[in-house]
Amino acid sequence: MIGYIARRVLQMIPVFIGVTILLFILRAPGILPGDPVKMITGERAISQTLYDQIVEKHGLNKPIYVQYGRYLGDLVQGDLGESYQKGRAVTDILFSKFPNTLKLALAAIIVEMFFGIAAGVISAIKRYSFWDVLVTFSTSVLVSVPVFWFGMLLQILFGIKFKEWGLPYLPISGMSSAEFPTSVHILLPAVTLASVSTAYAARIMRSQLLEVMGQDYIRTAAAKGLSAGRVIWGHGMKNAMIPVVTFLGLDLGAMVGGTILTETVFNWPGIGLEMFLAIGQRDWPIVMGGVIVIVLMVMVINLLVDISYAFLDPRIRYGRKVA
Amino acid sequence: MPPLLEVDDLHMHFFTRDGVVKAVDGVSFTLESGKTLGVVGESGSGKSVTALSIMRLVPEPPGKVVSGDIRFKGESVLSMSDKDQRKLRGNRIAMIFQDPMTSLNPVHRIGKQIAEPLRLHKNMSRKEAWAAAVELLAQVGIPQAEERARNYPHEFSGGMRQRAMIAMALACGPDILIADEPTTALDVTIQAQILELVQEIQQRTESAIILITHDLGVVADMADHILVMYGGKAVEFGVADEIFYHSLHPYTWGLLESLPRHDVDDKGALCPIKGQPPSLISLPPGCSFHPRCAYAQPICSTEVPPLVEVERGHYSSCHFAGDPDFVAQFVAHSCYVGGPREADG
Amino acid sequence: MSGNLEQPDLSRSPVGPGAEGSPVVDRDGGDFAGPGRTLRADALRRLRKNKLAVAGLVWIIIIILIAITADLWAPRWLGDPIEIDSATVSERTLLSPSVEHPFGTDKLGRDIASRVIYGARVSLIVGIVAVFIMVVIGLIMGAIAAYYGGIWDSLIMRTADVFFAFPYILFAIALIAVLGKGFQNVFIAIGILGWPSIARVFRSSIMSVKSNEYVDAARAMGASTRRILLRHIMPNSVAPIIVYATMSVGGAILTEAALSFLGMGVQPPSPSWGLMLSEARSFMFTAPWLMIYPGIAILTTVLAFVLLGDGLRDALDVKLKE
Repeated sequence: MIGYIARRVLQMIPVFIGVTILLFILRAPGILPGDPVKMITGERAISQTLYDQIVEKHGLNKPIYVQYGRYLGDLVQGDLGESYQKGRAVTDILFSKFPNTLKLALAAIIVEMFFGIAAGVISAIKRYSFWDVLVTFSTSVLVSVPVFWFGMLLQILFGIKFKEWGLPYLPISGMSSAEFPTSVHILLPAVTLASVSTAYAARIMRSQLLEVMGQDYIRTAAAKGLSAGRVIWGHGMKNAMIPVVTFLGLDLGAMVGGTILTETVFNWPGIGLEMFLAIGQRDWPIVMGGVIVIVLMVMVINLLVDISYAFLDPRIRYGRKVA
Repeated sequence: MPPLLEVDDLHMHFFTRDGVVKAVDGVSFTLESGKTLGVVGESGSGKSVTALSIMRLVPEPPGKVVSGDIRFKGESVLSMSDKDQRKLRGNRIAMIFQDPMTSLNPVHRIGKQIAEPLRLHKNMSRKEAWAAAVELLAQVGIPQAEERARNYPHEFSGGMRQRAMIAMALACGPDILIADEPTTALDVTIQAQILELVQEIQQRTESAIILITHDLGVVADMADHILVMYGGKAVEFGVADEIFYHSLHPYTWGLLESLPRHDVDDKGALCPIKGQPPSLISLPPGCSFHPRCAYAQPICSTEVPPLVEVERGHYSSCHFAGDPDFVAQFVAHSCYVGGPREADG
Repeated sequence: MSGNLEQPDLSRSPVGPGAEGSPVVDRDGGDFAGPGRTLRADALRRLRKNKLAVAGLVWIIIIILIAITADLWAPRWLGDPIEIDSATVSERTLLSPSVEHPFGTDKLGRDIASRVIYGARVSLIVGIVAVFIMVVIGLIMGAIAAYYGGIWDSLIMRTADVFFAFPYILFAIALIAVLGKGFQNVFIAIGILGWPSIARVFRSSIMSVKSNEYVDAARAMGASTRRILLRHIMPNSVAPIIVYATMSVGGAILTEAALSFLGMGVQPPSPSWGLMLSEARSFMFTAPWLMIYPGIAILTTVLAFVLLGDGLRDALDVKLKE
């Protein structure tokens, strides 16, 4: 198993390097159309002297590999540059908001786990029933829904209309307020963020469980006299869950990546909202910094999920054969 | 005293979108304690479905018992409640399957899987069941059973896995052990070991065994009675020696002929049975075997031959089974075991 | 499925004398067993039977027609999507849906229905062009990787892995941040980002076919490499690509909407569904209809492509049990 973990880590390294190269290409001069100075200052007009100063300061006139080395060095030290508009280090700005994004992503995963697994299991057990058709169809629909629109719909329904109709309603903006604690504020954004993934999770759970139920060892379990429930739960689920758990883990990474839309809609003060505001201001250092932070987080999460897979599947944990 | 197991004219059909698959279309036999029944036939002959029906493991849609009955110690298995059936499964009637790799749950330890029926049927505690499981592993010939019980299936070799399956089936001391092609997925050398093990167990426990296989050679030593199946029907049933040396059905002759012979140097041709097994949705009219039968007569394509007791305890469903001249054709013909070889055509 | 040789395969009739319509087909389009059905005809038949897929296809065609002909009737009957009629503007802002303006009007007095229709043009163009780009790049990369193998394979696949490490939206945002906002850059960005999936699918398709027996058989018959490629490898590899491309159009439309929503894509005053949703946010309390129609437009269009893709996948999957 140590071998498995080591291999996974090693595999990640070239990808990591590739990612940094790719990100570097995006901001480096000469490779892509666009002015790298703009990436630092935003799109205001600046004097030529200032322009030259910036070129000097950031070494934009040095050879590519030197710039890359410098970039990598900055990255390792946690220096993502400075927001020209705000005058603060990008790292500071982003990391202060980071916990909020993480909270939201975790809440969304919990929602997804609950509903996705339940829906998937039920539709697998009651195959071809009304419920199954409903789940299958609604997953197709959910996949096609623009996440941000879904959020807006929820806002209108639960935030505005419910209030109008005198029903208990939910907050639709921000992380906390006088009326509601964070735990309530997080509901709508979490459901929104989870929506598309829940559809996938249900689908995967369903197909995994169906596949597992068709396996021979399920028949063996039945042949031992176990009741249907015990067979499904004790034998079926344990096998079917492995890929599902892996999927959920990877999804956590994807969620962290997708928060930008949800945070924008709900004014949730995380990295995504910062990036959105920065786009409006053309404050590119924040935008690019946000991208870097999120990408790295996703990679780390993926790696952890990969490693956890080893713990879940005994075939990987105990790989060697006994004579 | 009612027989231990009695299958009475069983018809089990599958209702699919493409038509009705008559997987089992008229099978009858009885089984007594301590005896071994060999069920022989090609793929698709209905042997496995028969076994699964005894265990009621056939998914009820699309399968359905159209007629007939299965009785265990006189009591009808088919009319039992679900709960009662489950009390039999793994407890009084146990089954081992063809491929031990896929038949064992990859994420449970071997010991746990063997202990499971004990905990379920005998209400043992986890510790007791585990100890019993280790003991069972030792009994089926797995060395260092204490440690091996903690392994997962993928850590075992093929033969060991099959032994583990046998241990699992034997856990509750069943009256009947059904072995569905237990050696097909194994190496030849291991096959013999497994069969020996099964025989040994039978001597020890007096349980009855139903041994299902497509290979007549496998049942040669072990079976007391043999049931030959074709196209979902029982075509011949009798005492093992009778079937081997005095068979009364052309299909069985075909099976006997197609056994490769190891004892003669002569490089004679292999004699497979011509043609393919029939589709169970659209069986040939009359005798299902007639398109492939070398001895078919006109009546064979129009009339379904009934399973008839031709001699004492020896049943056959061939129109001409009772005709000694007809039967003699086979003895005189080619590669019959014990008969003259087709040296001069 | 069951490892037992015995159990009848319950979901399709066993092949044997008397079994009808066994779909054993020669990939080249001819046939040598059963009633004369080619792979293509089989697939079309199955597709037609899938009502959802057909519905999706119909809807797509409707939208395409509406989008193409829009100039002829939309401005006249509904109102111009972009121009502001300064004379009447103050009376026409934020009207709720009515006969004259079936979807209402926006804050600048423009008819929403008209904007939604013109927005269809944007979405469709982005979707189709982006997918076209990604398929072309993906096919080339996938073919190189699969065919030449070795270092090319590693290089290309590693690069694909790097692309996969990025959440899609973020990558698109970063790319557009560099290239500049605007319509063209949207489909360029989506196209550039999408090639790895296509390349992977194509490559694994080729590799599995390459090692498949009938290629060896063809080779044994003396077929040249080119012939093998064209007549054996391509037809089989094409199917998953078609499916993936179809579903990607839906994905591309969603991505464009998201980018425009964030302000990175189509810029005002051009109509884009995503942009319209972003504009609708400020009026959520007062004029909720502003956000409903563009959203429905996105949903139905993407859903149509997804259903069509699903249907194609089922229809083209030869191994599928009916």
